[in-house]
Amino acid sequence: MRRGAGRVVLLSIASALSGCSGVQSALSPSGVEALRIDPLFWTATGVSVAVTLMVVVLMALALYGPLRWRSWLGGDRVIIGGGVVLPIVVLTGLFIYGLFVMQAGAVRSAREGEATVTIIGKLWWWEVVYQGPDGEEIVSANELRLPAGRPVRLRLESDNVIHSFWAPQIAGKLDMIPGRTNEVVVEATAPGISRGQCAEYCGGAHALMAFYVVAMAPDEYDAWLAREAGPAPEPLTEGEARGRQVFLENGCGGCHQVRGTEARGRIGPDLTHVGSRMSLAAGMMPNDVDAFARWIVENQHIKPENKMPPFRQFGEEELTALAAYLDSLE
Amino acid sequence: MRRLDRGWWRAVGLGAVLALAGAGLLGGVFILSGLYNVAASRQHFDITNMLIRLTLTRSVATRSMGVDVPDLSDERLAALGARHFDLGCAPCHASPGTEQNPIAAEMYPAPPPLTHAAEDWDAAELFWIVKHGLKFTGMPSWPALEREDEIWALVAFLERLPESGAQDYAALAGRRSGTGEVEFTFGGQNATETLCANCHGDENNPPVHHLAPGIAGQKAPYLLRALEEYASGERESGMMEPIAAALAPEEIEQLARHYAEERVLPSAAGVDMEAAARGAEIARNGARADDIPACLSCHGANTSGQFPRLDGLSAEYISTQLSLFRSGVRKGSVYSEIMMPIAERLSEQQIRDLAAYFASRAGGTGGEASAGPEARQ
Repeated sequence: MRRGAGRVVLLSIASALSGCSGVQSALSPSGVEALRIDPLFWTATGVSVAVTLMVVVLMALALYGPLRWRSWLGGDRVIIGGGVVLPIVVLTGLFIYGLFVMQAGAVRSAREGEATVTIIGKLWWWEVVYQGPDGEEIVSANELRLPAGRPVRLRLESDNVIHSFWAPQIAGKLDMIPGRTNEVVVEATAPGISRGQCAEYCGGAHALMAFYVVAMAPDEYDAWLAREAGPAPEPLTEGEARGRQVFLENGCGGCHQVRGTEARGRIGPDLTHVGSRMSLAAGMMPNDVDAFARWIVENQHIKPENKMPPFRQFGEEELTALAAYLDSLE
Repeated sequence: MRRLDRGWWRAVGLGAVLALAGAGLLGGVFILSGLYNVAASRQHFDITNMLIRLTLTRSVATRSMGVDVPDLSDERLAALGARHFDLGCAPCHASPGTEQNPIAAEMYPAPPPLTHAAEDWDAAELFWIVKHGLKFTGMPSWPALEREDEIWALVAFLERLPESGAQDYAALAGRRSGTGEVEFTFGGQNATETLCANCHGDENNPPVHHLAPGIAGQKAPYLLRALEEYASGERESGMMEPIAAALAPEEIEQLARHYAEERVLPSAAGVDMEAAARGAEIARNGARADDIPACLSCHGANTSGQFPRLDGLSAEYISTQLSLFRSGVRKGSVYSEIMMPIAERLSEQQIRDLAAYFASRAGGTGGEASAGPEARQ
């Protein structure tokens, strides 16, 4: 029993610690904004540790120390100085430092002509709209691509309930509020992949609403954006062509857009280049053929209450072809 | 005195216990010996009959108290009821102008002729009896308890039955003459089609009532699936389930092909064109703010044959089916799982607009794959 309990404690500590590194850790910042607020965390933690240690030591002295020390501790000067003045000084200092670091919500102004990306919180996924070189909209979903070393202005919106956009390695949290646009300028310091999550409870599948942030070398980013702006690739194999037919015949285009085909729905995620994304279902599944097939049939089990009905009518041949087609949309 | 009292009570108690045990024993012997005659050929005693009758009338009167009677004045609703009556009820109850089947006549109790039903029972009571049936009488309950809309059609007909003679009945039930010139039998190409057309109409005649959709020009795979789902009880309908269950698989296929080749008959006039224009917008482009996809992305002419075409269906039929999806009655198939969440997102206004739009459309057959819905504008 006791050993079992010990193991549980060890395991939970281990899993808590594993959150400190990895793709969704705020402790390994890789964005200018995250780097800027990183010292705030360490400063606040350091001061808290110092205060706690001081209190423990003083408490020990008060209980077991020599009589002279104990009477000094009980004096007015120590009580007023340590109990009133010190907290005011420490907390005010931390507060001002915090305001200074976070610039009290000020938005770093992006340079003229820099990229703007609009991210709209949905139930329960993210619509990501890039601005092309000529100002045209390039719609994607559930993934934010950033050019490393270039500031990007994020416009955060919602058309349903309040969400909160949080990519811990890139920047702090910022709410997405219906009827309002919150802006933040972010800049990834180096190419790399991290993960983010909705940080404000937004209903049933809130915990299943994540995304990936992919920072790329600037020239790679430009090439990627140009490809993303283009129409979906034509099917190369017979199976993929059959998959496209299944896709269109079964009404998938009522909710999903695949540019270059007659599918032009804007209710669910844009699938024009879905095959090139890191994940499916807003960070819930790897992006492969099997995951596509599973999602189409079992999406209500994978993400309960999501807006997509389950499509269980397909035979094996149709489902395989459909999954192959979606996977080919790179 | 006291002692005597106690002994007296004890004797009474013992006597009661013995009497109960004796009654139980006798009852057991009576049942197990088979002395009671369950033969339908033997009548109940008069007193038994009277008690049964009283129990029945009281039960029906009490249990039908909460039933709200809708407007039953629509002649076409009664006509639909008459057509079901002819297939589902007349075999036992007989109809005006026909003799009761001798086999049914020997049931005990014998199914009564229903020409006086509306005088004996009020509409709520008739509804309750048709819906729930009557225990120990052979009167079955409605095969689809949640389809109360269908049951009212039958009640509307029963209300008219007292005044109708053989000629009226024949007209209401769609027979050409009182002697049954058109036989409603299964099997044989024309006979079954006549049976379907009697309620659903064809490319020249509208359906008898909006509860029965027009099926001319419908896609064959959908018709096939609908009949199979009715036959298996997956889709609920007290009118369609018995008919579909009686059809042989090759008959179902042949019927589906036949109606797919006919052309859509436009729904009756009187469509609100303003509503239809609003509906057209939703049907073609959806309503993004409400998460409603374009109807035609599934229900168009070029899409999977499993998605029905909605062109020419009456507005009432479309709104009835949408409310069946919304209330979870039309469930159970993998396709209804797709439609249910979408139906739930539609507002009453949107349902009216969409129903008007589809009712206003016509033309095309269920087999055509070339022209899209936009092309026929």
